[in-house]
Amino acid sequence: MLEAFFTNWWVLPFLIALLVGMLCPATGAVLITHRRLLQANLISHAVVPGIVLALAIGVDPSLGGMLSGLVGALVAERLSSKSKGNNEGVINTVLAGTLGLGVLLIPLLGSLRVDLESILFGDLLAVGQADLIRSLLAATALLLLLKTSYQKLVYIGLDPEGAAASGLNVSSVRLALGFVTALVVVSSMAAVGVILVIGLLSAPALFGLNHAPSLHSAMVRSAGYGFLLTFIGFLLSIGFNLSPGPLIGVLCLLSLPFLREKSK
Amino acid sequence: MTNLIAKSLSFSYGKESVLKDISLELKTGTLTALVGPNGAGKSTLLRLLQGQLIPHEGKIFLDEHPLGANRSQVSLMPQRSSINWNFPITTEGLVALGQVNAANKSCCKTEASLQRVGLIALAKKRLDSLSGGQQQRALLAKTLAQNASIFLLDEPCAALDPPSREQFLSIIRQLAEAGLTIFVSSHDWGQALNAYDKVITLDRTVLAFGTPEEVRSKLQSISSMGNHCCG
Repeated sequence: MLEAFFTNWWVLPFLIALLVGMLCPATGAVLITHRRLLQANLISHAVVPGIVLALAIGVDPSLGGMLSGLVGALVAERLSSKSKGNNEGVINTVLAGTLGLGVLLIPLLGSLRVDLESILFGDLLAVGQADLIRSLLAATALLLLLKTSYQKLVYIGLDPEGAAASGLNVSSVRLALGFVTALVVVSSMAAVGVILVIGLLSAPALFGLNHAPSLHSAMVRSAGYGFLLTFIGFLLSIGFNLSPGPLIGVLCLLSLPFLREKSK
Repeated sequence: MTNLIAKSLSFSYGKESVLKDISLELKTGTLTALVGPNGAGKSTLLRLLQGQLIPHEGKIFLDEHPLGANRSQVSLMPQRSSINWNFPITTEGLVALGQVNAANKSCCKTEASLQRVGLIALAKKRLDSLSGGQQQRALLAKTLAQNASIFLLDEPCAALDPPSREQFLSIIRQLAEAGLTIFVSSHDWGQALNAYDKVITLDRTVLAFGTPEEVRSKLQSISSMGNHCCG
């Protein structure tokens, strides 16, 4: 009976959607408290050239995507340090440039057959076991980061200067967070695509952060809201025969008016 | 019990000299104000005294020992603007961060620090649900939770209303009377200075040092010579 359940066409996409739906908001809660969401958006665009190159040379696209996402974040970080407070401009320029590079690489690499639309906006119904493994790997990386650096993440998110002054290595923790973000973005490629992932990183985390007494609690709550959102999105996408990625993106937007104001 | 001594400190950011020839001594159990206009170098001086920045010239000692290896003895409470007040954390969670790097972590230290600033009843409250004055006291408690003997507070009363400011000053007064060394930077040139044992006025270099009365009379004599320090 269990075997029959797992051979249903919708089971694997459903599992991946729910896993990504919890993983992205949990990561998003950390990113929002660290004011690193713009960097996450940059990573989500910068993974594209890596994915295209990896497909061209026959390597797992998640590896290429993760590497180019991290390289994009590091390049932006380096250039931002020279921009004297105008780092948003630098990050957005790198974001557009890396996405442009990814799009240009497709015709430049000749015979390469890449479905750009599914990379950007997801194609949940075409997922395979490799996508499930990617999501589980990203979840493991996030849990490992929390296990080894939870207190550091709290301190750096609350008071980065104070954390550095007390001897914490802020750069290495931020690099590790960038690495996890790149993994999460790549793992969500199949479910919502690398462009729409920012919605899942943000909207449920905004709900989760409201009234949470700790970062840990905010992450769990965010994952819960994300689960609910992707569950509804997946059901609606089957019911109305719509693409789940964009539908989940729209649901993220529609959920925002329900965000309650903080009460003192 | 430790005295903090700075001898002939100079510091510059690139070519811009920020502090020149600063010498001072903070004695155990004293409450000292560091007063100066914006850009006088107050925050830079505090960061030098905490060991976050290295002076280009001069030396800092804790009694006769160089600051370097003993910088954990000096704790700095940052300016309000450097804290992410919306971070999901309770008051006691914030205070416990004071011991992140401590060799012997103790929950009693967190509780004792909260008790000292009168926030034990709000320990479980989320940080962003506290008033501005309570938030500053929570930040002070976190600073106190570090196993330090000298506490540098960077403009802790900025943006506080007068009752909250008075309450904060009364708490740090009690802490100094209990034997802690406290050095507080401030913009306030008014009557609030009377709450301090000593006052240092700074404008890239030390203009005056002494009791509040001594400093006021010295500044008046500088002012009568046409040198207006406080802009």
